Amino acid sequence: MNSAIELSGVSWRAGKSFELTDVSLRVPVGSIYGFLGPNGSGKTTTIRTFLGMLKPDRGDIRVLGKEVPRAMREILACVGYVPERPHVYPALTVAEQVRYHSAFFPTWDRGWADELTNRLQLDPDRKIARMSKGEAGKLLLLLALGQRPSLLVLDEPTDGLDPVVRRDVLATVLDYVGETQATVLISSHLVHELERICDWVGVMDRGRVVTEMPMQHFKNGIKRLRVVGAPVSVPDAPFVVLSRQSDNGAGSTETWIVRGWEPPMSYFIEGVGGTVRDVFDLDLEESFVELLRSSRPTTIRSR
Amino acid sequence: MYQPMLFVHWKQARMLLVPFVLAAFALPLLVVQGFGAGDSDVSQEAYRILANYQVWLPYFPMLAASVGAVLALTAWNWDHHLGHIYALSLPVARWEYVMLKMGAGVALALVPTAAMWIGAQLASGSIVMPEGLRAYPNQLAARFFLATLMSYALFFAMGAGTIKTTVWIVSAVLFFFVGGGLIDILLGAFDPTMSDVNVVASTVSWLARAGGPFAVFTGNWTLIDV
Repeated sequence: MNSAIELSGVSWRAGKSFELTDVSLRVPVGSIYGFLGPNGSGKTTTIRTFLGMLKPDRGDIRVLGKEVPRAMREILACVGYVPERPHVYPALTVAEQVRYHSAFFPTWDRGWADELTNRLQLDPDRKIARMSKGEAGKLLLLLALGQRPSLLVLDEPTDGLDPVVRRDVLATVLDYVGETQATVLISSHLVHELERICDWVGVMDRGRVVTEMPMQHFKNGIKRLRVVGAPVSVPDAPFVVLSRQSDNGAGSTETWIVRGWEPPMSYFIEGVGGTVRDVFDLDLEESFVELLRSSRPTTIRSR
Repeated sequence: MYQPMLFVHWKQARMLLVPFVLAAFALPLLVVQGFGAGDSDVSQEAYRILANYQVWLPYFPMLAASVGAVLALTAWNWDHHLGHIYALSLPVARWEYVMLKMGAGVALALVPTAAMWIGAQLASGSIVMPEGLRAYPNQLAARFFLATLMSYALFFAMGAGTIKTTVWIVSAVLFFFVGGGLIDILLGAFDPTMSDVNVVASTVSWLARAGGPFAVFTGNWTLIDV
């Protein structure tokens, strides 16, 4: 098993308003996979699809080497899931909720759960309805980690949390991963947060997977170029032009956003009559924005 | 898994159940209130007890139906509120989850039933029974339990679906009553020989008569009988 999560050609439609279209992604075993996308791009729907909560219209899904939805029970027994909104029973206390939750997981590690309760500074007698957003976030993490999952699925786990709690949550996840080599899929629209911790990244927009690649490639592969004497078109280019824009309106100097750029490729541009004057690195957020911009139909694309 | 499920259901339903448990306890006692001192004419006393019982009779099935509804609605309330995400993320088959939930409600139905049984025992023990009459506290409690389960099952099934499904079911029932009433009127208007036909009443009567699914509500709710 090379992939902890594998979706191929998954489509799902919710009325006329939203659909997942031919979603294919592969989360390598042992990776921390950042699942990026703007709000409403389909991240949560994709997660719910591979966790068996939604039945896709088309496509194949395998999680931890098992087929979804056929082996859902075995799969969910090994998955720690933190949904985007707290999903636990408000009238219970922390201890009661943990007791209830643990009854469903044969591998629940009580000692580890107690340790996490202390570490995350959760009061076992606190009623969930009276918890702050940060406390609720910590409780969800405790519930997800208590059974020592081999796959952790975190859907916007730090959304709306203050920086201190956010750091606690991420540190706990990283410690767990460091200890167990578990696979993590973490969905977020907070790009900077993922930049620090993920080794793979997948980008979703409007119900489609725009790209997925190792984080290092994503960070290093998308560049901003200033090209003088830019050719009208660059067919057969060894890189992908995500967007291009004239700097002065006259068209002699252009700013290009390209993917898959390597320094020797400047010779290719010279070969078609242009000159690369500057190459700028983009940070993850800029790369992400440019990637989304280029994937949308209204954007000026490479000619 | 059953025990935590029962606990969670209990936690949610307990405050709502309190008045129903009190009512289940009190109802049999209210029925015999003021009777059975044994100082009046035996046949008259027996008649008065039975006549008085008839006044209270409708409250027993109504109470059972209400308890069933409360248990069913509290069984699904949190899950609906949370979009069923939590339930679906647990490593348990959907049918098994539903059965666990159903089973928890059945166990909780024993609480008001026990209250009614105790109330019925106290009520029947508190009066001097006129000759020819007998008390049936066990049968009353058993009927109450079965009627509660019937109501619970009905509302539980409705609650298990989506809001859309529930709206469809309720709409279908309303449509039946309105449509059936209209058919009765039209049949009577166009053909006077059909004026005795009553679709709604016949169906309701079929559902509630002995052997029908709701017979438990309309049967003999006797605490005291011959």
